[in-house]
Amino acid sequence: MSPILAFDTSAAHCAAALVSGDRVVGARVEEMARGQAERLMPLLLELLADAGLDWRDLSALAVGVGPGNFTGIRISVAAARGLMLSTGLPGHGVSTLEALAHGLPRPVLAVADARRERVYAERFGATPVAAALHPIAALPPELACPGLGVIGDRAEAVAERLGATPLPRPPLDETVAAMARIAMGRGAPAARPAPLYLRPADAAPPRDAAPRLLP
Amino acid sequence: MGDTITVLGLESSCDDTGAAVVACAPGAPPQILSNIVAAQGDLHAAFGGVVPEIAARAHVEALDHCVEAALEAADRGLADLDAVAVTAGPGLIGGVMAGVMCAKGIAAGAGLPLIGVNHLAGHALTPRLTDGLAFPYLMLLVSGGHCQFLAVRGVEDFARLGGTIDDAPGEAFDKTARLLGLAQPGGPAVERAAEGGDAGRFAFPRPLLDRPGCDMSFSGLKTALLRACDAAVDARGGLTEEDRADLCAGFQAAVADVLAEKTRRALAAFAAMTGATGPLAVAGGVAANRTLRAALTAVAETAGARFVAPPAALCTDNAAMIAWAGIERYRLGHRDGMDLTARPRWPLDTAAPAQLGGGKKGAKA
Repeated sequence: MSPILAFDTSAAHCAAALVSGDRVVGARVEEMARGQAERLMPLLLELLADAGLDWRDLSALAVGVGPGNFTGIRISVAAARGLMLSTGLPGHGVSTLEALAHGLPRPVLAVADARRERVYAERFGATPVAAALHPIAALPPELACPGLGVIGDRAEAVAERLGATPLPRPPLDETVAAMARIAMGRGAPAARPAPLYLRPADAAPPRDAAPRLLP
Repeated sequence: MGDTITVLGLESSCDDTGAAVVACAPGAPPQILSNIVAAQGDLHAAFGGVVPEIAARAHVEALDHCVEAALEAADRGLADLDAVAVTAGPGLIGGVMAGVMCAKGIAAGAGLPLIGVNHLAGHALTPRLTDGLAFPYLMLLVSGGHCQFLAVRGVEDFARLGGTIDDAPGEAFDKTARLLGLAQPGGPAVERAAEGGDAGRFAFPRPLLDRPGCDMSFSGLKTALLRACDAAVDARGGLTEEDRADLCAGFQAAVADVLAEKTRRALAAFAAMTGATGPLAVAGGVAANRTLRAALTAVAETAGARFVAPPAALCTDNAAMIAWAGIERYRLGHRDGMDLTARPRWPLDTAAPAQLGGGKKGAKA
């Protein structure tokens, strides 16, 4: 089965995995606070070269669309859309929260750091609760449910608030490989990968109000 | 296609997403095969100016569509290209980064060379695309984000003769429009409102005309306009259409006077540097203003210099200029790696001393 290449720069890392059926053919994870835009494409090319593969040997691309760092998400999504254009490969946008929760027993709450004591959270299983941004100190009680596990950034703090069980976080290469597996289980993508921001852009209308116009 | 060089260009450094295909055969003028621009004006209208995060969000989802449209309009496939050129700065970094990453994806997947282009070089080399200008020439780049005089001596040889030490004129036009309740972008709105206005009614300053050199300042002019507007509003509780026309006309005349006088000095400095009388070329959205253009034309005529103004679509931000600058760099053997960096600041003239107000990393405007 032709491999899927998955990659993600939604937080302080550059991560990629090549997954063929059940097998992870190769993976690269590099922690970095900045420099993902410079590193991503060389890292993908190295990963392919190490596996002796070319773009045309792949069956699809999977890209982490967030939620997470806005700039980081855009780095990967823009690269994925450029690659889709040039290679003709289908591209699947995969939520980082869905990737975190992949393969775990339900119900599970996946969380990603949103800085300033906030998290992006989505509950899978029980009655699913859509991904949204919450302050850790004011998590909505409806996120809690019996037997809930919590996976991801700030899992302990979130679990404590919700009376849930924090789960050990898998290594990043497994999370990125999960993006490929999620893509594998989907049909042809209906839309191009697009960032999942979950927060509007910070923008305020102009302060200076226009003067009244006299007749 | 023999020795013809065909390059795809991408531009996303401000609020226009662009993609274009330009081809150049030896001994023939370059041909713009397509030039697609998707403007974001509506997205920013409510905020009275370009919001960087909103711009970046729009670019990342528009770039690939623009590229597809540009290739289709040019009737070319990626296999027909020699390289992919992309604006790698200066500009709003979120947008520049989206463009650079999209271009890397296209180049890596298609096995094409990648060429990073300085957005300002794109503007500065445009007269060679449109009018076949030979080096050297004097360039006045005047837009919403930039204002500078460049002696263009080669594809990668620019000498900065002067520029704004604070705002770009386009910013001042936008601010004027906001203060007076006119639409954005401010340039065309202020120009329309100024028609029939009395430019002499309000006394606006001509900043830095009393100092030697080619540097300019426009932020004081903004403040003067705010004061004049406030005074008129205080007197009668609002502005009449006539007040507004007079304010716009006065403001526009002040910008024109400053640019004209500084252009006269820049032509002299350019002649001293190169021994050449012009030509003078302009680029940037503000260069589309007819009052300014008339003033600049007169200055060039008096100096005996040829005046070159590319068509408006190639004066404002566009990707054809990026593709063209890519061709110019490609012909010199320039190629970038897949680690090409997107740069918010990237002065063209690295030898010039840092501009006042430009920060350690180089000029903003």
